Amino acid sequence: MKTAYIDNVGYEFNSGETILEFVRRIESNKDAIPTMCQDDRLENFGSCRVCSVEVAREKDGPTRTMASCHTPVGEGLYIYHNTDKMKRLRKNIVELVLTDYPADKVFPPENKKATPFQETIAQIGIPNVRYPEGKNHLDIEPDRAHPYIKSDLSQCINCFRCVRACEEIQGEMILGMSGRGFATNIIKGFDTSFDESACVSCGACVQTCPTEALTDKYETKTLVADKTVRTTCTYCGVGCQLEVSVIDGEIKGIQAPETAEVNEGHTCLKGRFAFEFYNHSERLREPMIKKNGKFEEVSWDEAYDFIATRMIAIKNKYGADAIGGISSSRATNEENYLMQKMIRVAVGTNNIDGCARVCHAPTAYGMQQSFGTGAATNSVEDLKQTDAIFLFGANPVKGHPVTGAKIKQAFMKGITSIVVDPIKTKLADLATYHLQIRPGTNVAILNMICHYIIADNLVDDSFIKDHTEKYEEFKSHVEGLNMDELSVLTGVDKELVRKAAFAYASAERAMEFHGLGVTEHFQGSKTVMLLSNLAMMTGNIGRNGVGLNPLRGQNNVQGAADMGVQPHQGAGYMDINKPEVQQYYADKYGVEKMPEREGYKIPQMLDAAIDGKLKALYIMGEDTIMTDPNTNHSIKAFEKLELIVVQELFMTATTEMADVILPASSYFEKNGTFTNGERRVQRVNKVVEPIGNTKPDGQIIIDMMDRLGYQQPTGLTYNAADVIEEISDVIPFMKGLSWDRLGENGLQWPIKEDGTDTKMLHIDGAFKKGIGTFHHFDFEESPEIVTHGKKFPFILTTGRELEHYNSGTMTRRTDNQKILAKDVLEVHPKDARRKGIEDNEIVRIFSDRGSVEIPVKFSKNVKRGVLRTTFHQPEVFINIITGSVGDEETMTPEYKVVAVDFERI
Amino acid sequence: MANKNIRTLSSRKELDDNLFENIASASQKEQSKEELQKLSKRFMLDDSVVLGTSTFYDFTREENKNKKVHVCTGTACMVARTQDNIHKNLEDHFNSNEIGHAACVGHCHSNNAFMYDDKTYNAATKDEVKNIINNKSYQNNDYKVASNTTPILTSKIDDVAAFYQLAEQLKNNSQNTIQQLKTSNLRGRGGAGFPFWFKLDAVIKEDSNQKYIVCNADEGDPGAYSDMYLMEHQAHKVLFGMYVAGLTVGADTGVLYIRGEYPDSIKIVGEAIEELIAKNLIQNFKFKIIRGQGSYVCGEETALLNSIEGLRPEVRVRPPYPAQYGLYGKPTVLSNVETFANIHWILENGGEAYAALGKGQSTGTKLVSLDSFFNSPGMYEIEMGTPLQTIFDEFGGGFKSEIKGLQIGGPLGGIVPMHKIKDLTLDFESLGSNGFLLGHASFVSIPVDFPMVKFLEHLLEFTADESCGKCYPCRIGSHRGMEMLQKAQNSDYKIDKQLFDDLLETLEIGSLCALGGGIPLPVKNALQYFKNELNEYFTND
Repeated sequence: MKTAYIDNVGYEFNSGETILEFVRRIESNKDAIPTMCQDDRLENFGSCRVCSVEVAREKDGPTRTMASCHTPVGEGLYIYHNTDKMKRLRKNIVELVLTDYPADKVFPPENKKATPFQETIAQIGIPNVRYPEGKNHLDIEPDRAHPYIKSDLSQCINCFRCVRACEEIQGEMILGMSGRGFATNIIKGFDTSFDESACVSCGACVQTCPTEALTDKYETKTLVADKTVRTTCTYCGVGCQLEVSVIDGEIKGIQAPETAEVNEGHTCLKGRFAFEFYNHSERLREPMIKKNGKFEEVSWDEAYDFIATRMIAIKNKYGADAIGGISSSRATNEENYLMQKMIRVAVGTNNIDGCARVCHAPTAYGMQQSFGTGAATNSVEDLKQTDAIFLFGANPVKGHPVTGAKIKQAFMKGITSIVVDPIKTKLADLATYHLQIRPGTNVAILNMICHYIIADNLVDDSFIKDHTEKYEEFKSHVEGLNMDELSVLTGVDKELVRKAAFAYASAERAMEFHGLGVTEHFQGSKTVMLLSNLAMMTGNIGRNGVGLNPLRGQNNVQGAADMGVQPHQGAGYMDINKPEVQQYYADKYGVEKMPEREGYKIPQMLDAAIDGKLKALYIMGEDTIMTDPNTNHSIKAFEKLELIVVQELFMTATTEMADVILPASSYFEKNGTFTNGERRVQRVNKVVEPIGNTKPDGQIIIDMMDRLGYQQPTGLTYNAADVIEEISDVIPFMKGLSWDRLGENGLQWPIKEDGTDTKMLHIDGAFKKGIGTFHHFDFEESPEIVTHGKKFPFILTTGRELEHYNSGTMTRRTDNQKILAKDVLEVHPKDARRKGIEDNEIVRIFSDRGSVEIPVKFSKNVKRGVLRTTFHQPEVFINIITGSVGDEETMTPEYKVVAVDFERI
Repeated sequence: MANKNIRTLSSRKELDDNLFENIASASQKEQSKEELQKLSKRFMLDDSVVLGTSTFYDFTREENKNKKVHVCTGTACMVARTQDNIHKNLEDHFNSNEIGHAACVGHCHSNNAFMYDDKTYNAATKDEVKNIINNKSYQNNDYKVASNTTPILTSKIDDVAAFYQLAEQLKNNSQNTIQQLKTSNLRGRGGAGFPFWFKLDAVIKEDSNQKYIVCNADEGDPGAYSDMYLMEHQAHKVLFGMYVAGLTVGADTGVLYIRGEYPDSIKIVGEAIEELIAKNLIQNFKFKIIRGQGSYVCGEETALLNSIEGLRPEVRVRPPYPAQYGLYGKPTVLSNVETFANIHWILENGGEAYAALGKGQSTGTKLVSLDSFFNSPGMYEIEMGTPLQTIFDEFGGGFKSEIKGLQIGGPLGGIVPMHKIKDLTLDFESLGSNGFLLGHASFVSIPVDFPMVKFLEHLLEFTADESCGKCYPCRIGSHRGMEMLQKAQNSDYKIDKQLFDDLLETLEIGSLCALGGGIPLPVKNALQYFKNELNEYFTND
């Protein structure tokens, strides 16, 4: 046993444990030794020295003073942490600190919580300052320009926590220290303001700052809240846990809880700051029916009756298949489950689809083909164990900021890293290899990579032999490909590809991450299957630190698909074309029979509407008009519909076209669960009461089902815990799921009956489908380019920015809009100048579908011939020009390859 | 360990395209802001990193950009009271805003020191200054050199090629090398006296494909110029020591971090490296000189490593030690110039021969720097254990004027009153056990008429000036200490003795490194031995 002594009593210590950790653990007291500069999430630093303790080599022997935060415990060490000498030292240090700290900030004001610094000095004992007045930093001007983050460095105690959080948590170095000695000072960027700096507004600095030198506009740190509620963020598939402070029934601030497994006390500006949309004046508060072209507020009963009457009439006249439902990946699992159930059971059709259609459907489909399960094989925490990261078509720094920051950390620390992206993103810049392909050539580049792995003899033969099928066909296919041709096609030097392939395949553990740059393509599903091949041929599956890990776009994309929001699979991915499956669901739902025909995918719904086959569309929380491609086509389809019902938070391009608008409650106003990108089901807890006369989507669906003649067995009141119980009965891999078991950090499915969850799938090659299947494909040029490439010679690719969440319905109604107010068109300066276009000039960009106007931003992050933009702002409405080509298998639109041209106005 | 990201990003371009050198040159350019911003982009860093570094050093700070000449503010020049005169003489040639300062340029033997046009000078008269400025006439930095024993460090190298021959026998014989060094009991000459062999042994055990040898040639201790002597007159002894250390532990790169206040050292060592390459005397090993930019704390080993990396030279926490996590996070043997310079003799003559010199645990010889108050100032190689009085009499030749005490071993070294000199010998133990320090074995004389309170103010001002600003005791405490000493001299304010004692204890036991932790030693010496003189500045209780 390794023994060290605290006040002469021996205890076992853990290897690598610091004295501070040891004493805290033994005494079960986080405050056993006071600290100022220390933060569990940060590297030990040792600047404040108030954690100093006396240590001796023998009992009551001569002691030395050591900072406990960075001194490891050693065998036979005698630790005395509360001696008079140490108490004096701490008090004397505090006295020094107080010589350069505002005298009126020593105690918290009456209605505010004490800051950690105020707590620490109270713990140590607040000394009288005996020093004569000298030089100080009390007159530093506050910096209040940034919408969220404020600094008043007169209260700064130079603990470096903000500087370290910026680098060590977020992976930025916006905050730094300048000067030396007494003149050291926190700086932002090149000594500018937060607003002017490249700050990504994550707020990690604010959260760790122990004083009010750094605060947010909500002053969250010192709020005395009536209550704090832990919930799951709605802004992406990472699934950050948030701790929301509520005063008088209103949200006053958000912090990231350090106990959260997913985000470990960190989150991004969307999760932390962008909550003010929830009670924005533009929130829809009453149900509305369009009468004579104008929306009129009506009662819920009137709205429900109106919808039910019309839907039943349409069903009677045209059949149930004339009705479609679009569900939302932003809604909870329970609501998605109820929505698909309503369409399938109460309406009687499989025409149910969700916004996964426009993002990750190819992932689910492709991975099912290869492995048997359409979900991330590993967990994000595996990043700690991997040796190489292969990032394909994703920019998680913007789209999935907390996971992105973790990946960025690994990249900066020099992990072997490969990025495939037509855009030179920050991660691409940091990566060991960046394969900057022409958009749309994913299959070609993957074929090259696989070709070289085989050529260089880096395949894992035994894994292939023991756990997979059809490798030989794949092998002979890629072996026969001409690398020079593919090199020209992709625009990437073949030697670079070879090196990248070598790096991936020779790593002991390599982890793949991919995003919409894989799926939103004509060959999206094929690309997913090739990514699967890559993992299988190198044995990078079924172990820690490997696998194929899709970065899910919306918070609950995974969950919506799990819940059966797909026209071909019901809850739990069972094929609804099979009679036995139909019977299974009929039994579970307590109905006679289930609809038999496979339903429409969203693009098919729109086409069917144009063809007059679809007459009604029931949409829960999606702005189809703005987010689906080829807006004019969508509008045309909507115009043909006889009934459009939309559940929404705000007026959108889609609600404008609706017949009935049902005001829904936001995620702050209801209970439920979201499933993040690593299959983790986490609780969404109600923080505040529903705004105005809104109802949770789940309640609305239950009410509608009732009107349509189906009684939800869990009762007429939406209760998430009860719906979960039903889900756990229907979905086999969620058997052990229950509200109570989810606890604070959720469970990763499959969840066994006893509640055991699963961090990793396909362990040791035991694939869900029994054996992993190789597929092989040739690169095929997108029809978009084949048809329109000559006339429209530029390729537009679309993506997201950090500050906004897709169509921006929520984020545009927060101060995020102050940080980023415009969509811009990124153009290589040479391409722009050839057209006589200057930076910031507004241009007309046009395609076969239409044209929009947009300001230009010069950028060398795009290659010549490639343009990039985002789709957050309705002022631009970029989807007017995007096209109707979709993934061959899943019809996911090809947002990433649009044949366009642009010109001066 | 903090700053891993910045460190790794810097290490991507490593030493050939060194971040620190880039920051230094960008800072000195006309458009320094734009240049620095370009640099942060090129290294994939944010602006705060490069600005943070450039605002740290004397020579890279924006406000010092236009300084054309730097007057030495070292302790020896201060007590010699020559520098006001130098400043005045320089004002004939420069605007006062063009005159900056440098913390000791190593002319402690003569004083009147300044640095101009990348050279250091001492010039007592107006005419001398004029001659230097107008004619750029180069003046040799001359001082006396002698030894009282077998010359190890001061012996002449006749044939460089023959000198390096020894390395051939040492290849593939690491254990023997370590054994000889262990037997010799060579201890680090930077001041801490850590057994040198132990560092090699620790690094050899590390499994890493990249290791470094780093020579700490940031001899910032005012009063000491022994490393300067070695670099300018015995460069090959230093380089050989580094080369052999590299052969022994499997490191292929040696970095010499030489302070910018020693431009001649940088030049001469550079020439010696070129000579090695030209004569093909070393294999599979490369040297790199990094020029310091004016910061005393860079002499602290972890600050020095951060400095090479282009990070702010803030002291790192230990563990990990440089042997495990050194330059760019790789295992690193880091030692002082004089330590490396001893290695050739030890390996040529054997560890036992070396251990036979000296006294007890202090083996070998030590270079001693005597200042201009001695009748014979200069650089003397003295066998460890020699009585100080003998050095003063036989080499120093007595003092030019009456001295009340000496500060031995740099600004963190003890203040020894004259009457204690006779009790002391030149070794770690004698000085240490008497409450002083061997340190760098520099001797700065304090004349009888120099107020001790002013001397203390100088020490605390130096510490406050040079503190890296990381740990609270040093950053705030040294500054407050300086303020109190100033106030007590300039007004009827009396320093609260209890408060002053508290401050000294806080610095001593609370500081992160030896700068804040070491400054109380001389201050306490002064309070003990010069109590009568200092009493009037304190409350009497």
